[in-house]
Amino acid sequence: MSDFNVTGAEGTVSIKPPPETPKLPPRLWIKENLFSSPFNIFLTVASTGILLILGRGLLSFIFSHERQWGSTATNLRLLMTQAYPEEQYMRVWVCVGVIFTLTGLSMAVWNAGSRVALRRLGSFLLSTGVVIDILTLLAPFSSSATIIWLCVGTGISLFGGSLVKFSDEDKTMSVLTVTVIALAVAILSLWVVPYGHHSFVFERTPRSLAEAGTVALTTKLPWTIMLLIGIAAYFAGKAIREKVSQNVLRVSVLTIWFLAPPALLYLVLRDPDFDMGHVLNTDIPIFLVFAAVGAGLLFWLTRPTAGELGKVIAAITLLIGFGSFLTPMRMIIRILILLLAIFAISAPTFAGDTQTRRRYSLGWIGVSGVTCWLVTAINTPSTVEVPGSFFIGGVSLTLLIAIFTIVISFPLGILLALGRTSTMPIFRILCTWFIEFVRGIPLITILIFFSIMFPMFLPKEMEIGEVASIVIGYSLFSSAYLAENVRGGLQSVTRGQHEAADAVGMTTPQKTLFIVLPQALRVSIPPLVSHCIGVFKETSLLAIIGLFDILYIARNVIPNQTEFLGSVRENLLFVCLIYWILSYQMSKASQRLERRVGLGER
Amino acid sequence: MSDTPTSTSEKVLSARPPLWRDIVIIKWVTQVFLLVVVLTALWFLTSQAGDNLKARSISADFNFIERPVDIQLSEGIDTHPDSGGRALWVGMVNTIRISLIGIIFATILGVIVGLARLSNNWLVRRLATIWVETLRNIPLLVQIIFFFSILTVLPRVSLETGPINGWFHISNKGISMPRVFLADGFYQWLVVVLIGAAVSYFVYKKRKRIHDETGADTSPVLWALGVVALFGILGIFIHPIFSWVGSIFGALASLFDSLPILAPQLLLCALSVGLASTWIIRFIRKNRSARGHLSLVDDDWFRIIFTAAVSVAFIVLFVRWTGFSSWILNSGRDLFEVIESKFNVDGAARPFDAMRPDIVQPGKFPNYGSSGLTMSISFAAVFFGVVFYTSAFIGENVRGGILAVPKGQIEAANAVGLKRSHALRHIILPQAFRVILPPTGNQYLNLTKNTSLAIAVGYSDIVQVGTTVFNQTGKTLPVVGIWMLFYLSCSLTISVIVNWFNVRMQLVER
Amino acid sequence: MNETNNETSTGSNRDLSNAADMIVCENVSKWYGDFQALDEVSATIKEQEVVVVLGPSGSGKSTWIRCINRLEQHQEGRIEVDGIELTNDLRNIEKVRSEVGMVFQQFNLFPHLKVIDNVTLAPIWVRKKPKVEAQEQAIALLERVGIPEQADKYPGQLSGGQQQRVAIARALAMEPRIMLFDEPTSALDPEMIKEVLDVMKELALSGMTMMVVTHEVGFAKEVADRIIFMDEGQIVEIGTPETFFTDPVEERSKLFLSQIL
Repeated sequence: MSDFNVTGAEGTVSIKPPPETPKLPPRLWIKENLFSSPFNIFLTVASTGILLILGRGLLSFIFSHERQWGSTATNLRLLMTQAYPEEQYMRVWVCVGVIFTLTGLSMAVWNAGSRVALRRLGSFLLSTGVVIDILTLLAPFSSSATIIWLCVGTGISLFGGSLVKFSDEDKTMSVLTVTVIALAVAILSLWVVPYGHHSFVFERTPRSLAEAGTVALTTKLPWTIMLLIGIAAYFAGKAIREKVSQNVLRVSVLTIWFLAPPALLYLVLRDPDFDMGHVLNTDIPIFLVFAAVGAGLLFWLTRPTAGELGKVIAAITLLIGFGSFLTPMRMIIRILILLLAIFAISAPTFAGDTQTRRRYSLGWIGVSGVTCWLVTAINTPSTVEVPGSFFIGGVSLTLLIAIFTIVISFPLGILLALGRTSTMPIFRILCTWFIEFVRGIPLITILIFFSIMFPMFLPKEMEIGEVASIVIGYSLFSSAYLAENVRGGLQSVTRGQHEAADAVGMTTPQKTLFIVLPQALRVSIPPLVSHCIGVFKETSLLAIIGLFDILYIARNVIPNQTEFLGSVRENLLFVCLIYWILSYQMSKASQRLERRVGLGER
Repeated sequence: MSDTPTSTSEKVLSARPPLWRDIVIIKWVTQVFLLVVVLTALWFLTSQAGDNLKARSISADFNFIERPVDIQLSEGIDTHPDSGGRALWVGMVNTIRISLIGIIFATILGVIVGLARLSNNWLVRRLATIWVETLRNIPLLVQIIFFFSILTVLPRVSLETGPINGWFHISNKGISMPRVFLADGFYQWLVVVLIGAAVSYFVYKKRKRIHDETGADTSPVLWALGVVALFGILGIFIHPIFSWVGSIFGALASLFDSLPILAPQLLLCALSVGLASTWIIRFIRKNRSARGHLSLVDDDWFRIIFTAAVSVAFIVLFVRWTGFSSWILNSGRDLFEVIESKFNVDGAARPFDAMRPDIVQPGKFPNYGSSGLTMSISFAAVFFGVVFYTSAFIGENVRGGILAVPKGQIEAANAVGLKRSHALRHIILPQAFRVILPPTGNQYLNLTKNTSLAIAVGYSDIVQVGTTVFNQTGKTLPVVGIWMLFYLSCSLTISVIVNWFNVRMQLVER
Repeated sequence: MNETNNETSTGSNRDLSNAADMIVCENVSKWYGDFQALDEVSATIKEQEVVVVLGPSGSGKSTWIRCINRLEQHQEGRIEVDGIELTNDLRNIEKVRSEVGMVFQQFNLFPHLKVIDNVTLAPIWVRKKPKVEAQEQAIALLERVGIPEQADKYPGQLSGGQQQRVAIARALAMEPRIMLFDEPTSALDPEMIKEVLDVMKELALSGMTMMVVTHEVGFAKEVADRIIFMDEGQIVEIGTPETFFTDPVEERSKLFLSQIL
């Protein structure tokens, strides 16, 4: 134990870990890092043993002949989207395409991607190749497979080694380029290597299983197109960036990102069967009336001289909004009145010259339009017919619920954090109680409660799907944790900033919006990202309450197919891999972001 | 204009602005308005729930606690509970058991992982990094289920194989090992040990004083532990002399039985009045200057009024809700009666007993008998899951905490000539511990909450038992309420303990 | 740094006897729990007057100046700024804050905003000025404090003296009638103090009503119309710079002067 903290020879206590990259000559480095003292030698031998046993065990498990990897390969579509109908599969690819496009655009707009030294890249490839070689020797391969894998590993090593040897000290490459090359290599290999070969043919409805053939066969064309779309979007973004002002571009890309999840879900994936007559007769007129009246009202309210009369009118709107729950009327009207009241109350905060006022009114039209469309789309039945409760499952459901939860819990969490740090005691007490209560109980109890009991708490005429009520419960849960992260940021904003904002005469909302929140959120980016990773990981709990997420499918659906009885462990390993890749990439990305924002390590 | 202070404050009052422009009024009207909105929404939701439940003829009362249920639990202190309440109690004990054991092992493993992350040995460092990065990035539930699926393919139990050497047995029914359990004499023995603890406290003080006065190495901790051990051994032989302790609890039980309902009601009312008035008095005292001048702004008055109103609301609640008071009385009586019965045992009963595992075949399939300590594979899966998962996080905390000790501290320790072990014990560990403790306390909380995932592999923790209970009785809301209360009290307990250590560490630091 | 090279220069020698009262404080008292921060402070400051508040640290100077634009709330007495009394009235607080500019010891610039946005933020959202107009005014103000070229930088990229000058420009952008300075040079390196004091002198000469808490005796002698000396939350002595620095009346003033001169 003492060896970890205290180096033997010199009697000095060394706490900092030694540098990761070997700077010494290999022989000395090995002596220094592996065999410096008897205890160190013992540790080296012991951990080599552990590594060998574990690696050998894992590899012989994976490559054993008893493994039914066909169950995963055949059921890939099931694992990704559950029973989403084959003939509508184009819609899924459209969604992936939109995400690739937006990613490419954002990369260009934010000028993302640092540069990496070619030498570092080379040494990474070198060690990767060596690891592949070692694993190949450990694995119970046939001799031909061993030779192929050895060749691959050695090839990568040689390529990396030559990069280290022959490239200049200061030659760098954009990380983005490296990523695109790696993706391109992976996708191109789909055209060459028949991954996921399987030969199962069965008659099964729904036809969620792949036909005989290879996974590579069916996905190589779409993935190639996706990559090309992403690259095209990147260059398009670069071109646009030259012409349009930075701020406008960023705000619009962010808006599209924000609108993408509901649009993709309700417009693309669900393919709503709009009742055009109803839309034209009721929905659009309601929207038009509210847009016009609201825009006029808000344009008037944002006059600098509106004064107290404006506040009175805003308060009256709010009261009407609450009062509307006493009389029967369409839900959309209630929602719109309440939204209008919120806009009216915040109008004095945004009052200004004509341009500002016009922008505020346009903002109202946009928000009310999106709300109307969303409510209509939610209430419209889907044309995608899927047996079972929800039309999509697997990884898609996991991502869907994670994204919606994060999007909903974000504003909620910020409000809770503001309430908890507020000077008003009742706000503070309510928010503190809520946060501490939610943080004290496990997520699964909340999910069980919301999936079973939440529909009971609604009026009889309101119906809510299981997935929707789970998203609500999960958002409430997530918002409490998010609030604590944001609170850390809020507390890091100094008193001086508050005072300076007060001294120039800002109102409390203005101070919060323009001064406090921008600084607080910037500080809380790293904990917020790790919170998002947590939300993504914990969507696996949906399996317990019987939603068809990837874990449920891997554990309860595939092992019960007659062809693959008992193939639990293979599929669970696959689930582990998917979760691991996604969360590990996200946490690496957040570390990069942290460095870029310049917060450094704490 | 140069009036006396009293008339000046009158002047400020007279210059009171119109209500809708007074910031204090605005502040409080907003708050009360929000409170009303929240309360209305809650009332609306609960009344809807009441209506909906009534429409489905489900009632949300707690009488399932008393009623017999048909539940068979996989493991626990009672696998055939006779009532819903008893079943939930077994679940609670199971949750607490796995949490406690998990916390202990996760801490040990976590410290090892954290130190390995800082090791001078490259291979060990790498191994620890792989451990942390793998476990942190895979959801705990997936890990638990994966461990479970591996454990299910272990060989079956059979009468032929028998326990390994009669001591250990591993199969797909779990791990069975010898069991040491509390026998009837335990509670009498506990009294002896408590007396021993009290004595050891004085011994500790004494040895400490000798150390402080003479500087001699008196090792007070060892002495104190020795005294407790001595009493423990002694207690095995002399514990029957404490059988009379039970009568004290019997007297307490009959006292609770004879008290009228008014007594706890009065006590609770007095408590709420007392708390509120203490708070108000303290608040006023805090705002009174040394010269006796009381400076309260309007905001402060609202606070005082609000506190008073809350206490009045509680008094009304206690007076109107007699069930709560009688519940306090009844449960107090039951508690003391149970304790009394624990002392009411045969004088020769041993405090502890031990048994070896066995395999029995009551029906078609052989299974472990009840004499050994059996860890089912569900327990093992949850246990390995939470311990490994939490160890990755604790390891990162430990690493961060040790890295957070400034280098200058170590140099200073060397400069004053402290030995390495002393530098570690008196300089590095206290400072590192101060950084490590709060996030690790959080991890303990998470571990406790994460044991609820046991439902996925059928370990009978409170969530799993609760689900079974409400599936049978339909009493979802009460069960969920019990869950929340239980987990909140667990969280509260852990945070109180961690905070206590935290405060102590900060005292140590000064 | 702050030794006076011109012993005879005392104040601006303006005749302020007919000027209107800008700030009126009557028996203002404030407590922090047991600690009395202000003890019946009474003073009147006239239009275009420059008042320097001196005193040992912890004497209540900063508390007083912060009460004047209600960053702190006084508990007794009355404060009137340009005829508006400071009460709980929302409108009065808004009015007073828009008439009183404040410069802090720690600058308190908004680190996430560019210099130009720091200056224009309040005019746009509080004064409701059109953005273009606010920007023109901001450039003019930055020129006035001598750093127009820094408009597109972030506060973190400026030196302390430059930051404090931006803070002055930010306060001036609200077109205040009174400027409060809370130890504006205390957090600066010695070589940067002069550039800030020059800006303040120019401001005083332009006829701004100013209340300055500072330890810069040279500045006080040169610019101030009156000196207010505070100790233990009380006003000990009020006088012109000549009389205060050469012939203080009170014992505590003498002691204080002997320590800093």
